[in-house]
Order: sequence, then C-alpha cells, then structure tokens
Amino acid sequence: MMSRSSRIPAYVWRRFGQSLFFALFLFLFIKTDYSGSDELTYAVNILFRIDPLLAFCAWLAGKTVIALMLPALITLALTFVFGRFFCGWICPMGTLIDGSRFFFPHGKENFTRDWRQLKYYLLFFLLAASFCSLPLAGYVDPFSILVRGFTFALYPALDHGVTAFFTFTYQHGPDWLNAVTEPVYALLKDHILPFRSMVYSLSLFSLLLLLIVIGLSYLERRFFCRNVCPLGGLLALVSRFSVLRLHGGSAECNKCRQCRKVCRMGAIDEERNIATADCTLCLDCLALCPTNRIHFTWGGERTGVQATGISRRAFVATLTSGFVVSLFLPSRPFARRPEPLLVRPPGALAEKDFLGRCVRCGECMKVCIGNALHSTWLDAGFEGVFTPRLHSRIGYCEYNCTLCGQVCPTGAIRKLTMKEKHATVIGRAYFDKNLCLPYARGIPCIVCEEHCPTPDKAIRFREVASINNRGESVILKQPYVVDELCIGCGICENKCPLPGRAAVIVTSEGESRHAGYSLVDGY
Amino acid sequence: MDRRQFIKDVLLWSAGATLAIPQFRVLPSVLAAEKVQPLLAVAKGEDYFALVSRVLAPLGGMGNFVRPGDKVVVKPNIGWDRNPEQAANTHPQVVKALVAQVLQAGAKKVLVFDRTCNEERRCYANSGIEKAVRELDDRRVRVEHVDRRKFVPVKIARGKALTEWEIYKDALDCDCYINVPVAKHHGLSRLTLGLKNTMGVIGGNRGSLHQNLGQSLADLATVIRPKLTVIDATRILLRSGPQGGDVKDVKKTDTLIASADPVAADAYATTLFDLKPEEIESTMAAYRMGLGEMNLDKIHVLTA
Repeated sequence: MMSRSSRIPAYVWRRFGQSLFFALFLFLFIKTDYSGSDELTYAVNILFRIDPLLAFCAWLAGKTVIALMLPALITLALTFVFGRFFCGWICPMGTLIDGSRFFFPHGKENFTRDWRQLKYYLLFFLLAASFCSLPLAGYVDPFSILVRGFTFALYPALDHGVTAFFTFTYQHGPDWLNAVTEPVYALLKDHILPFRSMVYSLSLFSLLLLLIVIGLSYLERRFFCRNVCPLGGLLALVSRFSVLRLHGGSAECNKCRQCRKVCRMGAIDEERNIATADCTLCLDCLALCPTNRIHFTWGGERTGVQATGISRRAFVATLTSGFVVSLFLPSRPFARRPEPLLVRPPGALAEKDFLGRCVRCGECMKVCIGNALHSTWLDAGFEGVFTPRLHSRIGYCEYNCTLCGQVCPTGAIRKLTMKEKHATVIGRAYFDKNLCLPYARGIPCIVCEEHCPTPDKAIRFREVASINNRGESVILKQPYVVDELCIGCGICENKCPLPGRAAVIVTSEGESRHAGYSLVDGY
Repeated sequence: MDRRQFIKDVLLWSAGATLAIPQFRVLPSVLAAEKVQPLLAVAKGEDYFALVSRVLAPLGGMGNFVRPGDKVVVKPNIGWDRNPEQAANTHPQVVKALVAQVLQAGAKKVLVFDRTCNEERRCYANSGIEKAVRELDDRRVRVEHVDRRKFVPVKIARGKALTEWEIYKDALDCDCYINVPVAKHHGLSRLTLGLKNTMGVIGGNRGSLHQNLGQSLADLATVIRPKLTVIDATRILLRSGPQGGDVKDVKKTDTLIASADPVAADAYATTLFDLKPEEIESTMAAYRMGLGEMNLDKIHVLTA
C-alpha cells in the first residue's frame, strides 16, 4: 500500500519512469544508424516489438506467429497484472503528450465519455481488416506516428537548425569563437545529429499527424490516449481484468473530487470509482488526495465504468466492415499490374505479405545508410502509405549494407546475410538513350559503369565510332545493362551526372521476391 | 584579409613558386643539369609498412617534404566500400606508414580524408584505413570525414576544361599535400592513378567531369599540387575498376612508386599495367600543360 506519507510523492516516481523510458526511446532512436560494423549493436526496434497491437495485426495479416514480435506478449501479461501502466509509464507518445500539456490549459469539465468507444471501434476494425489483407494499424499506432514524425521531420529539422547555426559561426565568426563552437559541433555530430543531412518524402505530412495527436489534447487531456489510440484500446480491454488496481474514494471520503479533477484520463466518475480500463496509473490522484483515500489493492471488487460501451451489434458491424472493405481492394488497376517504379527494399516479402506485415514504423527509412528508402504515397493503394520504397535518384541501396532487414520489427523486410543481399534483386536498371550523354549527345560519361557495384559489372559499355553533336568523329563508350547481373541497387540512377532526370532508371522488373513474372498479367 | 583572399593568394603564390623553386635537394648534380630530370623511386617488398620508408629513402626521406611544424594532408583513395584485398582503395598499411613518417618528420597536424563514392563511414571502415591510422594513436593525426562547409570555389586560371570548381579548403591551405592513390583499372580513363585521386578533394557534381575527364584532371592539377605522390601498387586491380570486388581481378605486385612529379609518377605506374603513358589522357593533358614529365626515358628512376 502506497500513501502520501512516503517522502517522495508517487507521481514523482512515475515522472522519473516516464523520463527514463523516453530517454531510452531517444537513445535507441539515435542508435538506429550504422555504427561502424555491419551488424547493429542495439535492439533498436524493441519499442515496436513490445507493441501488442502491431503484433496481433501482423500475426493476423501473415496468418502466422512472427517470433520477432513475441515480446509484445510480455506487455500484455504485465497489463493483466498492472492495468494500463504501459500508457502511463512507458509509452513515449504518452510522455510527449504529458510533456506538452502546458500548451493546452484546461478549464472545462474533465469527464466526457462521448468519444470513449472510438478506440475500440478502431481496434476491432484494424484487427478484422488486418486479417483480410488490409493492414492499416501503422496509421494510428502511437509508436509508428511518433517515430515517423521524429525520423522524417523533427530529427532532420534539428540537424538543419544546428548545422545552419554552426555554418554561420564557421563562415562569419572570428577564430576565437570557432575555437569554441567547432568542437561543440563536432561533439553534436558524433553523438546526437544524423551523420549527414537526410531528406524524406511525406516529412511534413508525418509531422502534421504527430502534431494532430498532440494537439488533440486541446479538447481533453490525453484525448488521443483516452479515445483514439487502438493500442490503448487493446490494453484497456485487458486491464479491465487487471489484478493490481487503484481503489478510489469511499462513502466516507469528503467528496472533494480532487481525484476526479486531476485525472488525466478521466477515469474517475462522480462516485470516485476508478475505471481500470482508463486508469494509466499516473498516480496523481494517489498523491493529491487530501484524505489519503486512494490506494492500491490486489484484486477485489471492480468499480467504475468497465464496459467498452460497444453493443454487440456495433461490435459485429465493425468486424464486418473490416471484411467488407477488403473486398473492394482487388478492383484497383495495380491489382493487375503493379506500379513499375515502386521498388521495395532488399529482403522485402512478396507484396501482399509485405504490406500485411509492414507496420509503417519508419525504422528502415531511419536506418537506411543511403537515405534511399522513402515513404510511399498512393502507389501501393491507400493501405500502402508510409511503406518503404527505393527512391534511387535521392539515394541508392548500398551494396554491402543489410541494415533495413535488421531493424524491421516484423520481418516484412527479411534480415539478409551479406551473401543473400548481394544476390537479392530489387529491380533492374534501363537506359534512356534520349538522355544518356554518349547516346544522345556523343559525349563521354559512363559514371554509371564506374559505380556499378557488382564485382562482375552489370553495367558495361561498347566502344562505338560515332559523330558527336559538333560533327567530330569520336570513339564513344556507350553503356548497357546486363539484366542477369543487375540487382537494382540504383547507384547508377543516383550518380547519373545529368542535372535533371537520370538517364538510367531502376524499375521493379525482375525483383526476386516475386518468382518470375507471376505478378504481371500476361497473355 | 578574408579567407577567400587568403586562398587566392596561396594559390597564386603556390602556382608561381612551386613551378619556380625546384623541390629536389637531393642531388645537386641533377639540379645543375639544364633541364631537371624528375626523380622517381620504386621499391618492391612484401612488408608494406616498411616499404614506405624504403621508397622514400632515395628521395631524401620524408624530411625532404615535410618540415617540423607543417600542416600536412595525406590523401589516400578511400572511395569505395571494399576491403584491402579487393584493391579498390589505398592499402591501409601504406597510409599508416606514410602518416607515421610524416609525424616523425615533425608535422604539427596530419589530416587524412577522402570524399568517397560509397557511403563515407562504410568506406572508412571497410578500407581498413581509419583503423590503421588510429592505431598510431597520435593526437596530431585526424582521420576526418569530409565537411561540406569546407568546399570553397577556386578559380582555375590555367584551366582549359574547368575554369572554376569547389575544392576542399584543407587540401589548399596545408603546408604539404601528399597524394597516395592506389593504381587500378578504370572503365572510362583506363587507369586511375595520382591525378584521378584528386577527385577526392573536390566538391560539386564530380560525375560531370567525366565528359572531358583527362583535361579536367590536368586543370585540377594546376591548383592542387602534391609535394609528394606515392602510388600504391602493392596489389593492382586489372579489371572491373575502379570498384572491383572480385579478388580474381587483383594482381599482387608489391610495388610502391614515389615522386615529387605527379605526372612522372602516373606515367611510370602505367607500365605496371602493360600500357604506355600516352594511353592515359590525363597524363597526356598534364604533360602538355607542363605539369610534369611523362617520357619514361627522361625520368630518373631510382630503385630502392
């Protein structure tokens, strides 16, 4: 039994715990990067692997238990004991929302149940849809939203700001200033900032989503956690049965309703019963109760609003809608012929399994050493937004790098050995002879051939006698692709020195995750 | 005097002065001759670390190039994410030994860097160069990744293909720039040697230089002037350059070539591939601009 008589108030411990886990989150976030060896040294994806929502969705989509996601069961088991402690103590999104509360002063009554069921509807819909090959969990999962916002927008913005400052001092500051600023910058670069400036597609959109989640607190404290978060919904379902729970005021208490007022989750009703489905064990009420009425109990009577508030009919309708929506998916053209410029990372499973397992966490894009992986927009359908694709013109797939498969928490991108990686075809390059200098303008170039990384070069050249645009006879080296050797890494497209479009382009043709041309509707 | 003016001055001064002042103080008899015959040292051996001091000895040792208190740049080829056996980068032991020599000569600061083609950190790690140099454990040495702020636009007054390009500041305002390329095959230019290694200290869209590579490299050689070129031919890549990747394409040659004349060093290294100096465009272009000697019979070869 905890009480206010202990020297340190309980919520201080909770805040300490939150800070600790948030610091751990940031540490692992920064460590999601090449570290000097081919293998990552930390389990940087652990946050996603303890997320039971993503685990269930990925398992249902793949119709198999993915061993990588088993740690999620630990979270569930602990929730059976402690209730939604995860939301109050561990979830970095929750911590961020709590941390931003000073932007959202609240005067209004702190207890509405109007939106409370939304998270359950979302949860049931996501689970049903996942089972029917419509994976959408990553759009609303708090960690996915958080890591995407950090990776695509906040981290690059931090880097840009810091670099701009130190570039200014470097270029315009006196020597004595640089003697101070430059070592600081070097230190930041070594430990905090990304190794080089990164760009990401959908960066502002990802930031907007994150800001919306935080901004919802304008309506109610922790609005997202109370009403929207399907992970919270799943944990709420479980914590209705939790063993250890907070017990609220009794008939004898002063009915001051201080507890109800401070509850960030609106979990305490008029009669001061604490609903375990909503309580995140922030322990504010415990510390602030003037009469010390609130305490932990093991088991005992369940009080407060425990029901999900969803009727059986609504439950069935939600599940059914998940099934029904999936029926419309095959009506889209790319069901017959996939978008050819949609090149997936090496080790990606066949498209359907890949989409099913991918939880849109953005880890692969964070770790991609070539800044080659970017969020897909609608090229793989509305269910494919935020899945990784290769943008060769922006960055290329580094030949000896296997990091994306190492960080993928669900195995949507398989972990490849170096040997497997070298043999994995993600696409194939072709030349646009209307742009390629040796063809189009009679000018030497073959930068692509120089960079082609396969030991037996997939880009070669023919020496051809030709007349250039000035009318001179020249011997030109004209490049071509050896299809059997090209693995689609995209370094040719990336390094093509033309200022605009590249003259060599990678498409998903021949990708090894789809045997032969089975995907393509031929004759 | 601002930084830009300083660099301009350094360039003008070095362009004039390095041409005017002979850099060989070894054999006065050679200097006395009407036309200076460039010296070139060749050494063979399997201990690559020891080989460096052997090849430098006939040129008067490192002390002839580096004076106490100098700021020195050692510029290897670290361009590719390949290991030492694959012969795409300068051998780490050669770089390490050179840096050790530079330190011994009393340098105040030694900088080792390259603007890589593959991802920087992977290249520095896989090439073995970062680790080898760090093993020297000397605070005066820094293996650095290229800092994009340090590329400064430089006028190339004598340039025929290039009139201006961004060049790495440290490569320009050091006291002694030592070029340590690896000799290997290259699809476009046939070979990549000393002059081509200069690509690693320039900024901008380097690929566009390929459109007139030989002359561009010669133009760059008018402003980036190594006091010493040491060509690593301990093992040479014969095909599928400049990246290679298959040890079957690598030939063990156990050779180092050193000269103060960048053109002479390239010209001599060409012979290891059974090619003639005039088959390499950059050698030809640089020779025509008077940047060094390419006729093998006019180069004084000293075998160590």
